[in-house]
Amino acid sequence: MSSGKFLTYIASHLNRDEAEISSIVASCSFKNVKKGSYLLQANEHCNHGFFVETGLLRQYSIDKKGKEHTISFVPEDWFVTDRDSVFFNRPSKYFIQAQEDSQVVLIDQNYEKLMSEKIPNFAEFNNRLLHNHISQLQERIDLLLGATAKERYLHFIKMYPDILLRVPQTMVASYLGITPEGLSRVRKDLALKNFKK
Amino acid sequence: MKTKTVELVAAPPSPHFVGDGFRVHNFIPGGFRMDMKRMDPFIMMDYNSKYVFPPATKPKGVGVHPHRGFETVTIAYKGRVAHHDSGGGGGVIGEGDIQWMTAASGVLHKEYHEEAWSKKGGEFQMVQLWVNLPKKDKMSPPKYQAIKYDTINRVALENNAGTIEVIAGEYQGTLGVASTFSPVNMMNAKLKKGGKASFQFPANFNTVLLAIEGSFIINGTEQVPTDHLALMANDGDQFEVEASEDSVILVLSGEPLNEPIAAQGPFVMNTREEIAEAIDDYNLGKFGHLED
Repeated sequence: MSSGKFLTYIASHLNRDEAEISSIVASCSFKNVKKGSYLLQANEHCNHGFFVETGLLRQYSIDKKGKEHTISFVPEDWFVTDRDSVFFNRPSKYFIQAQEDSQVVLIDQNYEKLMSEKIPNFAEFNNRLLHNHISQLQERIDLLLGATAKERYLHFIKMYPDILLRVPQTMVASYLGITPEGLSRVRKDLALKNFKK
Repeated sequence: MKTKTVELVAAPPSPHFVGDGFRVHNFIPGGFRMDMKRMDPFIMMDYNSKYVFPPATKPKGVGVHPHRGFETVTIAYKGRVAHHDSGGGGGVIGEGDIQWMTAASGVLHKEYHEEAWSKKGGEFQMVQLWVNLPKKDKMSPPKYQAIKYDTINRVALENNAGTIEVIAGEYQGTLGVASTFSPVNMMNAKLKKGGKASFQFPANFNTVLLAIEGSFIINGTEQVPTDHLALMANDGDQFEVEASEDSVILVLSGEPLNEPIAAQGPFVMNTREEIAEAIDDYNLGKFGHLED
């Protein structure tokens, strides 16, 4: 059952009355996912986009040595999907797992088709989402190639203010591309600088 | 004097683990009519009912986490817990001891089964409470009160009914050893079968009784079984408890602060802005550092 947040989110971003799009949004399915369960696993085909109404998801891969690499955290009001799998119809390399009990909207191509037909500015909105995503990924590549651990961490806490309170630090380290010890050092250095007794 | 009646008796909610060392029933906030506002200033209560932990070489517990804006009070009934915080505070509490930590402007802390106890394992039973702080004290410096069992003041009840151990506040003129920031009464009533104790708290004080051991009857009518929590209504200022068997009852009664509550995870403040600030401060190391 939807909490209605997706409808409110879409309506406000499209500048439309909720009534105008409620029947299209109602065509989406909603899923309650328990902490630890998966919306997508590697080698499956990803058929949906996911919007988080409540809770927290994480997208990650597992390398040949069995090590996890966090691609993204997906808190409330965020979207996640494997665009490669959806668009090119290829098996996914990624896992999308609930880190907390979550309420998720499953967005399919039918929804996009209906919205595109009925709502004139939907395509523009969708395009903006896509470019936001690309811009974020570009920045992430740049940080992973050229930024110090501290710079990556400071960027992370701006983008994801409360995630450190919601997941183990090992997952944050795996997002930043540093070891858990490296993350602990960064946080300790900040504490030495900023902590006033 | 008007009788304070029972509003409801809550069964222990399904337990969940906090870290791997505390198997708790979360009575507050949540459930029916027990949100933070209703229970103010008792904004959280986790009850680890009796649970046997097997021997473990690596002590179980909860790793480093922050708090701001309130006090955490851990009452140990069985088992031993070691605690460390980023202010350099720490200690061990065992049966009957109380750890009263004023997180206030912010600490990082961690709590684990004490190492020697963990190696032996055994029965574990504790209550952890969060007591809210008044707005003016939320950003005061953190402090720590370690309350040893033998320093707790006691009142022997008439007719050999049992003993009241006063942790905070007052019972029949005997004061609790803990200092508090707002009027809070906290006591363990240890009653023998058939023993009676009466309590007087102002009508507006939010009041609960938790059956740690045994079972009891309130005002001659309401039965409270083991591990159940009785919430008293705000309709009177006195009530009587009679033990149906030898019992230990945790009695809490506090004056509501009646200030806005904004809560997220381990932070309880008055506004959303203060919550965002707490998160920023935590991310930027302003709570200090503590090794896991």
